[in-house]
Amino acid sequence: MRRVRRPFLWWLALLAVLMAWPLVASEYRVFQAGVIASTAIMALGLVIVTGVAGQVSLAQAAFSAIGAYGAALLATKLGVPAYFGIPLAAALAGVAGYGLGLASLRLGGHYLALVTMAMTAIVQVGLTHWETLTGGALGLMVPPLTVAGKELTSGFALYYVVVPVAFALFLGVSNLMASRLGRVFAALRQSEVALQTLGINVLHYKALAFALSGALGAVGGGLQGLQTTFLDPHGFGIIESVVLVAVIIIGGFRSIPGAVLGSAVFVLIPELLGGFQAYKGVVWAVLLLLMIVLFPGGLAGAGAALAARLRPNAGAAR
Amino acid sequence: MLLPQILLSGITAGAVYALVALGFVLIYRGTHVIHFGLGEQVALGAYLVVLIQLYLPIPFWPAIFLALIAAGIFGFIIERAVMRPIKMQPILVQIIATLAVGLAIREGLRAVMGPQAWPFQFLLSPVPQSFMGVHFAWANIAIVIAALLVMGALYVFFAHMKLGRAVLATCQNPTGASLMGIPVPTIVSSIWVMASVLAAIAGILLAPIVTLSPEMGLIGIKGFTVAVLGGFTSLPGAVVGGLILGVIETAAGIYVSTAVKDATTYLLLVLIIIVRPQGLFGALAVKKV
Repeated sequence: MRRVRRPFLWWLALLAVLMAWPLVASEYRVFQAGVIASTAIMALGLVIVTGVAGQVSLAQAAFSAIGAYGAALLATKLGVPAYFGIPLAAALAGVAGYGLGLASLRLGGHYLALVTMAMTAIVQVGLTHWETLTGGALGLMVPPLTVAGKELTSGFALYYVVVPVAFALFLGVSNLMASRLGRVFAALRQSEVALQTLGINVLHYKALAFALSGALGAVGGGLQGLQTTFLDPHGFGIIESVVLVAVIIIGGFRSIPGAVLGSAVFVLIPELLGGFQAYKGVVWAVLLLLMIVLFPGGLAGAGAALAARLRPNAGAAR
Repeated sequence: MLLPQILLSGITAGAVYALVALGFVLIYRGTHVIHFGLGEQVALGAYLVVLIQLYLPIPFWPAIFLALIAAGIFGFIIERAVMRPIKMQPILVQIIATLAVGLAIREGLRAVMGPQAWPFQFLLSPVPQSFMGVHFAWANIAIVIAALLVMGALYVFFAHMKLGRAVLATCQNPTGASLMGIPVPTIVSSIWVMASVLAAIAGILLAPIVTLSPEMGLIGIKGFTVAVLGGFTSLPGAVVGGLILGVIETAAGIYVSTAVKDATTYLLLVLIIIVRPQGLFGALAVKKV
């Protein structure tokens, strides 16, 4: 795997731009950017488990449900504020993810897809039928995030909550993926057998990849709950899991910035379609198919290929 | 409620699940890919009948015939346009491609036909009848009979027809089959066509008893469960698995609650995969290094 130590200054510059941009952008754009950021956090989890570690996961919507419902219920039933509730829910999702990873002991690609799919479906059935707790099919209101007595509800205020969190998580994950752990994950995808011969506990690391993706899914789900202010079991089904897989495919599969690119495409597609809103799902699915068949590297891969063509010598370093 | 009643209702549902599962098993054996979009093709089959009747002034039965042909052509297109170009890609990519096919069909149906439910004609009278205390409708009997006919036709096809035997040979050993002069790429295409037509038949049988909406594609999960129960490589296993799931599900719905009925399939799927991944009838496949 390519090891890039991204210069610290670049990250700082990016953070400065992200923090300054809302001051000159419209409220609606800022809200959209916040949604892109929370979607990208969920997608980041998938980049780890599916992109890097090569384990198909259709459980990401279930994890984001754990985050969204978990944080909202902690707030309404126990009065736990969201800044504690979301990390707690993320920890729970992490444990659930670890368990799911352990259960996947003997499972190859297809069966893993089926089990994670079933997990999403079971969580969704639970959300729909445990009406006294979750509000069932009627849905659940998410109490607003309150900091120092002030309710943060505007897209502008939430942007300054979600985007710094996303920034920190992306920075953390990109460092993690360049570390020993990241290399073990990449090796899981390439050859489990080789890892075993090196005395590495494959099962533990597989479970760890799922745990990380679960925790990230829950953080993203919890934050998005604050943005949408309303939860409905329909928003956390198998289709939503597939959509998140599509986000990372379109963005660039193993690419960490790809998670942001894919999320941006997903959030902005409805806008490009104008009066043809009914077709947004089709456009999305066809885009996904085109990417798979024609550009397996996704947007990030297409960008990298372009950059390599412009600077022929840089390509050789890989 | 009476046991015979549960058996009858369970077998009706199970027969359709078995048809879906047969499609999965066929594609899996022929190409070693589980087609995660097959459930959506089930829904598509039923929608095709509705669409054809909307635009062509023809009766129900010819519309079904045309819909089956269209479904077969659609399966052919999926194989040629999507699955064949990515044949050499990792299994992960192929799985995601089949999911994408499903998503495209589902969203296409939602865009063209709307999210609402469409009425769908029964094959025979749905009026409840009673025989020795067991309630039934001719429509449900028709489903079972149609499913049995299809399974019988498949059996004859595989056991006694040259093309069927070529398909089996390709499933077992594509290299060997091609050395024997079997045109493997053509056979793979025909496997996709057959599975797509099976899915469409299942959709047409099922549409009257469930709601015909874009959500109907979720039937695919029942098909997976049945195929996993039967071992994913065995055609008779898929049939038996279908009946088992149909009966268990109906019993759970009657004796426990409808919420449990919904969850039964998923729990059974997880349980079987973890406890007995080779299914009830399949032999354990040891992963080779």
